Amino acid sequence: MSVPRDLHPAGRTGIGYAPAHHGELLQGMFDDGTGTLRRALVTLPHPARGSRAVFHPSQQHLGVVGTPSLAKVRRAAARALLEFARHPATAKGGQIEITSDVPRGIGMGSSTSDVTATIRAVADYHGVSLSAEEVARLAVSAECASDSIMIDGVVLFAQRDAIVLETFGQRLPPMVVVGFDTEPGGVGVDTLAHRPAEYSGSEIAAFGVLRAALRRAVARGDVALLGRVATASARINQRFLPKPGLDKLIEECRVLGGTGLQVAHSGTIAGFLFDARRPGAPERALRAQARVVELGYAPTALIGAEPPAADALEIAG
Amino acid sequence: MSTRTACDEATEAFQTPHLIRLGPNLYGVAFTLMKMIPARFILHRALRNGLLGPGTVIVETTSGTFGLALAMQAAHLDRRLILVSDPVIDERLHRRLVDLGAVVDRVPETASTIVGGFQAARLARLAEIRSTLPDTFCPEQYANPDNPLSYARLAEQLLEDLGQVDCVVGPVGSGGSMCGTLTYVRSVLPECRAMGVDTQHSVLFGHPDGPRELRGLGMSLMPDNLDHTVFDDVHWCSAPAAYAATRQLHRRHALFMGPTSGAAYLVARWWSGRHPDALTVVILPDEGHRYLDTVYDDGWLSARGHLSTDLPAEPVPVSVPHEPAGPWTTYAWARRSHADVLCASRA
Repeated sequence: MSVPRDLHPAGRTGIGYAPAHHGELLQGMFDDGTGTLRRALVTLPHPARGSRAVFHPSQQHLGVVGTPSLAKVRRAAARALLEFARHPATAKGGQIEITSDVPRGIGMGSSTSDVTATIRAVADYHGVSLSAEEVARLAVSAECASDSIMIDGVVLFAQRDAIVLETFGQRLPPMVVVGFDTEPGGVGVDTLAHRPAEYSGSEIAAFGVLRAALRRAVARGDVALLGRVATASARINQRFLPKPGLDKLIEECRVLGGTGLQVAHSGTIAGFLFDARRPGAPERALRAQARVVELGYAPTALIGAEPPAADALEIAG
Repeated sequence: MSTRTACDEATEAFQTPHLIRLGPNLYGVAFTLMKMIPARFILHRALRNGLLGPGTVIVETTSGTFGLALAMQAAHLDRRLILVSDPVIDERLHRRLVDLGAVVDRVPETASTIVGGFQAARLARLAEIRSTLPDTFCPEQYANPDNPLSYARLAEQLLEDLGQVDCVVGPVGSGGSMCGTLTYVRSVLPECRAMGVDTQHSVLFGHPDGPRELRGLGMSLMPDNLDHTVFDDVHWCSAPAAYAATRQLHRRHALFMGPTSGAAYLVARWWSGRHPDALTVVILPDEGHRYLDTVYDDGWLSARGHLSTDLPAEPVPVSVPHEPAGPWTTYAWARRSHADVLCASRA
């Protein structure tokens, strides 16, 4: 924790923001380097959406307004306040106001986004900038399992332990994600009620291979290999939270020129991955999005797509 | 991002092969002792699961490199090891095993006349030894599912170092290395091709059991760990062809490997040449030290009429897998079960 830069005068608020994600590229169980197996995941960030939290301090009890996952946000604010209990200008309580454009219950990380924004807002109020690891630890303590959106870089993150098992690199290779909800209008997935997957020894061994492949894919900027890893992870997850028609979606992705299919392992969304450096990628992504609608799915995201040039649009049309 | 670290013990170092380029689209996976992968994995897991107490005796039937790998790991773990072997165990290997503290129990020469040959006799002797000891652990390389599982680490290495692997060629014995490696490579690359290399008169892919000149390749009994549905193609390679290829591998690439490696190299070189766009890897399981007086001795080769053996340029495709024919044959196994293939080809 760094030294406070200045103390907020009374009446000031704290503001925090956190992005959403679009499910995972990989999720499973991995050796943490000491022989202990930990559940961990590699998040696919969705920086265009997110949650903004404003912390209004008061000496009263803690309250939350907005439409967030109330209990988790309240817990996150309480944990964060506890963290600053010795701070000279700390508040006893306050109100958290959440503004978010992250869809809920489909696996886009709305809850972690709210929680992370809240922790950052409380820290901001105290004039403190928390490290990514500190935010992760507080987020996990508030919601049991968090995605790694608070951490910069491509990491294998133990979502229940708030530990980074491995940093693959600073950023993902340039790619376009055409995201959609595989069960539009469904009831969604309650992340906490959903039972953790019981992986077999063979599945855990396969996760080690996927991790090694992803290490190379990120280091080399190999979107083809990255797509294969995501597809493999989605296939293993079918035993635990099946996406209807996954094999057909994987085939659709291949036909559309995508490199693989990623899913939210505890949600209903999926995404076709495209190598953004391949010629014609924007057109392919547009075609994919049209195909998604044709198949009856609801588009959720178009990540990483540069707007195609006007003449390219005409060709695609 | 991982960094290089020193090994805690010798067996840790032996698990990791060198990947060596042998052609524009061909890589050799060169092991000093490939069987270290399953040996170390199985014994460590047994230790973790409480199956390998301080007084537990490790017992196994082997006359080859799996025994050496077990002996090395048993020395690290300070456990007693009894190996039941053929009468014809290599004298240098025998000395190494004994120096590592292993007890080598050889079945009698007369056992070759019974059904299943030495392999069956070794199993019977193993059961006899176990019945006299209070606490034993048998790694059972032919049936233990941890054997194929242990090769996930090789798949990790292939994926991390090469990324794309279109075809894996390797000799088949217990089935552990090829079935395990392919299973886990295919978790990322489902279309990766598997080419199994066997030798004439081995029962693994349908030949009737019979005398085999080539050591270390081929089996008289069908191992449980051989999952036939892994294989796209099977090749049968004769001893002289394997010897010549072994020497070529040494002369051309300075890789001093045993004859099973030579057999696999013969197949891999041919296949990768015919498929220049396919990245091929060939598994080379062990080094040539045990074969200095045979495969690497021109006098020995000459006495057997093998010295002037020209390498066959290509395999002869066969339409049925169960009839040994020619020095190098191949059959499109097409990922079918053993029963499916033999029913289809005998119908």
